[in-house]
Amino acid sequence: MKPANQIIRQVLRGGIGVLTAIMVGAATIGFAQESVSVRATLMTGGVPVDDPSAAAWSTAPAATFPMSPQVHWQNRIQEVTVKDVIVRALHDGKQVAVLVEYTDPTQDPDDAAALEFMVGDKKAHFAHGQPMLQVEGGPVNIWFWKNKAGKAVDMNAKGFGTLKAQEHQDVKAKGAYSNGTWKVVFSRDLATGHAEEDVQISPGQFISIAFAVWDGRKDGAGDLVEKGSQKAVSSWWYFRADAPPDYSGYMYAAIAAALALGFQFVLIRKLKKGQSA
Amino acid sequence: MGALGKPIILMVGMYAFLKFVLPNIPGSAPLPSSLIILYLLLTASGIVIFETLSGESKDAFWGPIQRFLTGENIGGLQALRYGVFILFPLLVGWQTYGSTAVSDLPPTESRTIHPAPPGEYTGLSNPVPKTPENIMQGKGFYAAYCSPCHGGNFDGKGPAARGYIPAPANFADPTTIAMLQESYLFWRIKKGGIGLPIEGAPWKSAMPRWEVELPDEWIWKIIMGEYDGAHQSPRTWE
Repeated sequence: MKPANQIIRQVLRGGIGVLTAIMVGAATIGFAQESVSVRATLMTGGVPVDDPSAAAWSTAPAATFPMSPQVHWQNRIQEVTVKDVIVRALHDGKQVAVLVEYTDPTQDPDDAAALEFMVGDKKAHFAHGQPMLQVEGGPVNIWFWKNKAGKAVDMNAKGFGTLKAQEHQDVKAKGAYSNGTWKVVFSRDLATGHAEEDVQISPGQFISIAFAVWDGRKDGAGDLVEKGSQKAVSSWWYFRADAPPDYSGYMYAAIAAALALGFQFVLIRKLKKGQSA
Repeated sequence: MGALGKPIILMVGMYAFLKFVLPNIPGSAPLPSSLIILYLLLTASGIVIFETLSGESKDAFWGPIQRFLTGENIGGLQALRYGVFILFPLLVGWQTYGSTAVSDLPPTESRTIHPAPPGEYTGLSNPVPKTPENIMQGKGFYAAYCSPCHGGNFDGKGPAARGYIPAPANFADPTTIAMLQESYLFWRIKKGGIGLPIEGAPWKSAMPRWEVELPDEWIWKIIMGEYDGAHQSPRTWE
């Protein structure tokens, strides 16, 4: 009887280990953040860089982000037209395309939209990478589209008044307006040769993204209402390009299940031997 | 199986208490699943220690478990025994898959809501006399500069607030300005979001650095107006 008891005690110790593993797993799920991120779906056959209405977009999940009038620095604005942006993204392992969709009652030449990314490992303030007082920040990469220009400008900033177009223009953009809705596609290669200036998108990795929109309408005096820092902005959110499918998890699970099965056989055999002894 | 009945009832009862009864006790809150499992593990180890105190109770406790595992004379429980043998490897496999599979969740970012201020902003007292006129003036400045985000009702629900994360502070909430000193507010208003230390995630905060636009005296008056408007009092050490 005694050796059997010892075996059972060892088994229980093992069992507590399994329970602990379950506990850790459950805790990870329990404390998971609820924030939304943009997920660029992996597709084959080239991303629709020139077509905001392509059928392929329906395969990408849509994420909605709230917008606020920009109040962080002067000149501020108290009210903006665009309250939310709906964002989808696709990539094919080489190029990435981001579709930004929002409601705007009028189509104006000065309608504009932008994506902002952190560049490199350092955190950057969402307001144009404004320098922080106690933390060393990094630059931001801004992809800017304006209706009347009909193209994108690839820019960098590290604080107010430092916004500058890059020498290497890698970003494309195309906007389409229909039924009170703007759809703007931004596209670029996932990786560029300029890691100091351009955000580098590695499939599987989360990076930070923010959005800005300007409604190019004019007031009674003919002046633009939303211009420069007077725009709709979002906070930082996450962006990730899907990694190619990875099935190694199933293999590890099969190995673990086989080990557990073997462990059971050995245990029962030992117990039976202990009993007959 | 008699010796196992009580421990099983105890474990089930403990789980039901932690999961369904405790959260309903006034002033309590639902427990995270990790804490519930920790309590259950403690209960289980307590039971094992208690049951193995004497040789007699030890045999009474382990005996049924052993008989169940070896399948001797357990009659109708045989099916359950095979069920356990099938489910255990599946559970281990599932658990392994869960811990090795790539997560779809973005990285979690913890953020300290009230990080420590720099030394020069601790223990300052408001130099502006607390007169009805000054409070009124402070409320006026608040309406002009702060209310778009922090709200006309001091509740953090101003018209410009919705897109900002972290959300603008709700001053009527007893866990914000009511537990802070006036000098802390002076620091936060003066330096804004970009003045936060790294644990405060300064890159996310939209709070302006008001020292570049407002004189110190106005900021002290705004602090007065905030406390008065939100019906809170600054924290003091007396």
